[in-house]
Amino acid sequence: MNNRIKELRAKEDLSQLHLAQLVGVRRETIVFLEKGKYNPSLRLAHDIAKHFRLPIEEVFRFDDEAG
Amino acid sequence: MKRTIVGFVVSALVLGGLALWALKGRIAGNAQEIVMAGIVLIVVGFAVYLGVSRLRSHLRHEPGEDELSKSVMTKASSLAYYISIYLWLFVMYISDKTTLEAHSLVGAGIAGMAVVFVLCWLGVKMFGMKNE
Repeated sequence: MNNRIKELRAKEDLSQLHLAQLVGVRRETIVFLEKGKYNPSLRLAHDIAKHFRLPIEEVFRFDDEAG
Repeated sequence: MKRTIVGFVVSALVLGGLALWALKGRIAGNAQEIVMAGIVLIVVGFAVYLGVSRLRSHLRHEPGEDELSKSVMTKASSLAYYISIYLWLFVMYISDKTTLEAHSLVGAGIAGMAVVFVLCWLGVKMFGMKNE
C-alpha cells in the first residue's frame, strides 16, 4: 500500500506533528505511514482522508491497483 | 502518565538493587554474573527508553500510546513468544551437557526471553509492519 500523505501535507504546509495531533496519533505513526512501513487501521485512514477532504482511495492506494 | 512514572520507579529500584548487590561485594565478578548484570542493564535501558518516549509524547500533547505503538508491542510479543519456545528447547538440550545448576539455567532462560523481546521490538520498529 502506498499513500499521498507527504504530498498532501506539503500542499497544506502541515507538519507531521500537527497532522498527528489532528488525527490523534503520535508523530512517529505519521513518519511510519509516509515511509510505507505501516498500514493504518480503517479508522486512522478515514480520519486522515477526512482531514484532507478526500475519499480514502485518493489518499491510500494498493500497489497492485491500476491507475 | 501514571504508567510512565511507575516504569521509572521500577527501573530506579532495579538499578538501585543492582548497585547494592555490586557494592556489598556479593558480586563475585565472574563472567556469568557480569553477563546477567549486562542483561539487566539492557532491559532497564529499554524500559527507560520507553518511558522517555512516552514522556516526550506527553509534552508534545500526543497520546502516550497509539495504534502503531500497540501493534508494535503485540507483534514483538508474539514473535518473542515464538522464538522463546526454541530458546527453552535449547536450554533443555544443554541442561544435561553443562555444569550449571538448574536455578542458573532458569535464570538464564528468563533473562534470554527478555533480551529476545527487546531484539524483536527493535526489529519490528526497524523493518516496520505492513501486515500485507
